[in-house]
Amino acid sequence: MHIVCLLKQVPDTAEVRIDPETNTLIRAGVESILNPYDMVAVEQAVRLREQHGGMVSAVTMGPPQAEAILRDALALGADQVYLLSDRAFAGADTLATSYTLFKAVQKLDGQQAVDLVLCGKQAIDGDTAQTGPGVATRMGCSQLTYCQEVDWVDPKARTIQIKRKLRDGFERLRAGLPALLTAELELATPRRCSLPSLIRSLQAEIPVWDADSMGADRELLGLKGSPTWVQAIFSPQPKEPGPQFQAGEDSSRAVSEALEALFRDEDFAEKLLKH
Amino acid sequence: MPKNSKGIEVAEILPDQCIGCQICVAECPVGAIELNEEGVAEIDPELCVGCGKCADVCPVGAVSFQKAKAKGKVGAKRKEKEKEKAEEAVSGYEGMAVFIELDGDKGGDVAWELVGKARELAEVRQTKVIGFLLGSDCREIAREAVAWGCDEVHLLEHPGLSQYFSASYGEALTQLVDRVRPEVLLMGATHQGRDLAGIVATRLNTGLTADCTELSIDEDSGLLLMTRPTFGGNIMATIYCENYRPQMSTVRPRVMQAGDRDPEREGAIREQEWEFTLQGLPRVVESVSEVSAEEVDISQYPVLVVAGKGACDEQSLPLLQELADLLGGAVACSRPVAESGILPYERQVGQTGKTVAPKLYIGVGVSGAIQHRVAIQGSEKIVAVNTDPEAAILQIADVGIIGDYARVIPEMIKQMRERMRS
Ligand SMILES: Cc1cc2nc3c(=O)[nH]c(=O)nc-3n(C[C@H](O)[C@H](O)[C@H](O)COP(=O)(O)OP(=O)(O)OC[C@H]3O[C@@H](n4cnc5c(N)ncnc54)[C@H](O)[C@@H]3O)c2cc1C
Ligand SMILES: Cc1cc2nc3c(=O)[nH]c(=O)nc-3n(C[C@H](O)[C@H](O)[C@H](O)COP(=O)(O)OP(=O)(O)OC[C@H]3O[C@@H](n4cnc5c(N)ncnc54)[C@H](O)[C@@H]3O)c2cc1C
Ligand code: SF4
Repeated sequence: MHIVCLLKQVPDTAEVRIDPETNTLIRAGVESILNPYDMVAVEQAVRLREQHGGMVSAVTMGPPQAEAILRDALALGADQVYLLSDRAFAGADTLATSYTLFKAVQKLDGQQAVDLVLCGKQAIDGDTAQTGPGVATRMGCSQLTYCQEVDWVDPKARTIQIKRKLRDGFERLRAGLPALLTAELELATPRRCSLPSLIRSLQAEIPVWDADSMGADRELLGLKGSPTWVQAIFSPQPKEPGPQFQAGEDSSRAVSEALEALFRDEDFAEKLLKH
Repeated sequence: MPKNSKGIEVAEILPDQCIGCQICVAECPVGAIELNEEGVAEIDPELCVGCGKCADVCPVGAVSFQKAKAKGKVGAKRKEKEKEKAEEAVSGYEGMAVFIELDGDKGGDVAWELVGKARELAEVRQTKVIGFLLGSDCREIAREAVAWGCDEVHLLEHPGLSQYFSASYGEALTQLVDRVRPEVLLMGATHQGRDLAGIVATRLNTGLTADCTELSIDEDSGLLLMTRPTFGGNIMATIYCENYRPQMSTVRPRVMQAGDRDPEREGAIREQEWEFTLQGLPRVVESVSEVSAEEVDISQYPVLVVAGKGACDEQSLPLLQELADLLGGAVACSRPVAESGILPYERQVGQTGKTVAPKLYIGVGVSGAIQHRVAIQGSEKIVAVNTDPEAAILQIADVGIIGDYARVIPEMIKQMRERMRS
């Protein structure tokens, strides 16, 4: 089996803070990490290779320093990694991103036919969850989003069965290969890296593919190939905090004043209390 | 203004404002900008020719450059030549369309919310509201769509569409949109909507903005402005799609308001044909709905009493339930409470739980982490009960009560009851 993982480097959003004075985002000093959903995808890919043999390839599109997450992927057990990096890729929205990733999958398919592509459910920075469906559509393969479990893969019969999350439950689907999966966090728990794989990952040469080496149409790449434009970015308007009431030993006064403040708006009181 | 050795005034990037979007990297005609190790853009002053393009395009104003002009103006970014090409590409598209997602055998709430929003947008653009409805037996729902505000509903009924599959729905909706050509297409940012929108946008080769919380029309250009939270809710981005059609967006449930339902409203229902040629659809082996009869959908209640880690023991939960019952509401919770199994996952509010917009949200022992706050901002009123006057939730609360829930909540139950009597 040839399994391809698509990985994105993201800022650790849990650490992103807003400067309360200027109301801007403080990016400096925030660590860049492998998107947590993608880490799960790598683990799942490695498990399938352990069961069925074959090869796990991992690629990311990003600036040169994104190679750090490819080293993470090697440490987690990926066999080969490629960094897709080219000035022409910069400023891509999901349409251009999925085109670039599709060209990379095509090139990998030329090395050895690709059976499965694994993505994260979403990237924790861009948050769109659109890249996976975009790549699957371009490949014309089965699209299996919100995967929670891979039940089995049958490479001979060219089928896969997975459990996927629905709004109010789940379903098990049996679909044909090749397929593209997007991973929920519960899909697999990433293992701890072994020392040899860690050393190998640190020493590895990371090959780089640019637009030409993938035969990509430059009109469809990066900012040029992106229909969406970011007009402005701002911090959510902080709401003026309302009044606060201190409840000590006897809370009746605080509660009474608080409810008074809450129900000052008569329409609101009417709607809420008369049912 | 700093100058380089050739005496050119160069642009400068303010590192603590840059969000690393790489737009300037792509726009710089001489390739003078790159992202550095910290993911922040950096200009090589020796390469810079002082054109000021980066300052024009940076969405957060992180580039300081004296000659900066026309920043952030919608539609100002394209060259004339490209403009002509683009005008051709966008002509002939008309109407505000909504994909009507089904919820069992009726239309989903999010569909009617979007129709409500589409009506507003259509008034501004003086155009019609279009519904796209796919399914196997849904004529009744088409009439509902008219009642909620659609002027015309394109109905595609086919046995092959009785169940949602990415491939069949993707193919069918792509064809419908391609035939009808609306200028805008809105879909719910639900499991299904997000699965489907990416397919349709890719097939139609157009832009798609995810998970929007605000939509409006730009007065000058008539373009749809789509605003969405990113970076885990820490920042908002306003996005537009100038040269491709339709302008597509997924919209979070419960942020838009449905209009008034009028069963007498008139509208056209157009039946559409579809050659069902798809083979090799996945097979559903098992389908389990985990919402059993006694489980509650917290997004449906006008009042939510939300248990945080500071109020989720045996003593507090009955109190919270009593308060919720009194107000005709339900008990919901924060992530740690769901994670420890005290309340089921369906009751979790937040980025990884449900987005809610009740009339009244009462957070008890909830600190108000960003991942929680993003999902409650649509609430009409927020009350927070917390022992810690520094708790973040107080920043967005309409009323805060600083104190121990064990004292505050029984008192609140008592006084609410009195108010309801009078
Ligand atoms: C503030 C802001 C808002 C944006 N809003 C939009 C928008 O509404 N619509 C839009 O089309 N674009 C948008 N973009 C651009 C978008 O973030 C990029 O196109 C990005 O490359 C992919 O989208 P994502 O981060 O949402 O990833 P998702 O689609 O959420 O990622 C899902 C999975 O796809 C794979 N993947 C994603 N990116 C890469 C990559 N570079 N390399 C390898 N694998 C990858 C990973 O497996 C990942 O888990 C926005 C950018 C910014 C800065
Ligand atoms: C990727 C990601 C996704 C997440 N998604 C979600 C999500 O969907 N939903 C969510 O809720 N969280 C989510 N979180 C977790 C979030 O960051 C917080 O950890 C969580 O919301 C905290 O829950 P809490 O407020 O109940 O607990 P805490 O932060 O521990 O707060 C407890 C509060 O109770 C108060 N308190 C203690 N005793 C009393 C008392 N006797 N009376 C009154 N007040 C008292 C304390 O002062 C404190 O403010 C997510 C985190 C990440 C990283
Ligand atoms: S355009 Fe602005 S925010 Fe984006 S990388 Fe350049 S300086 Fe940073």
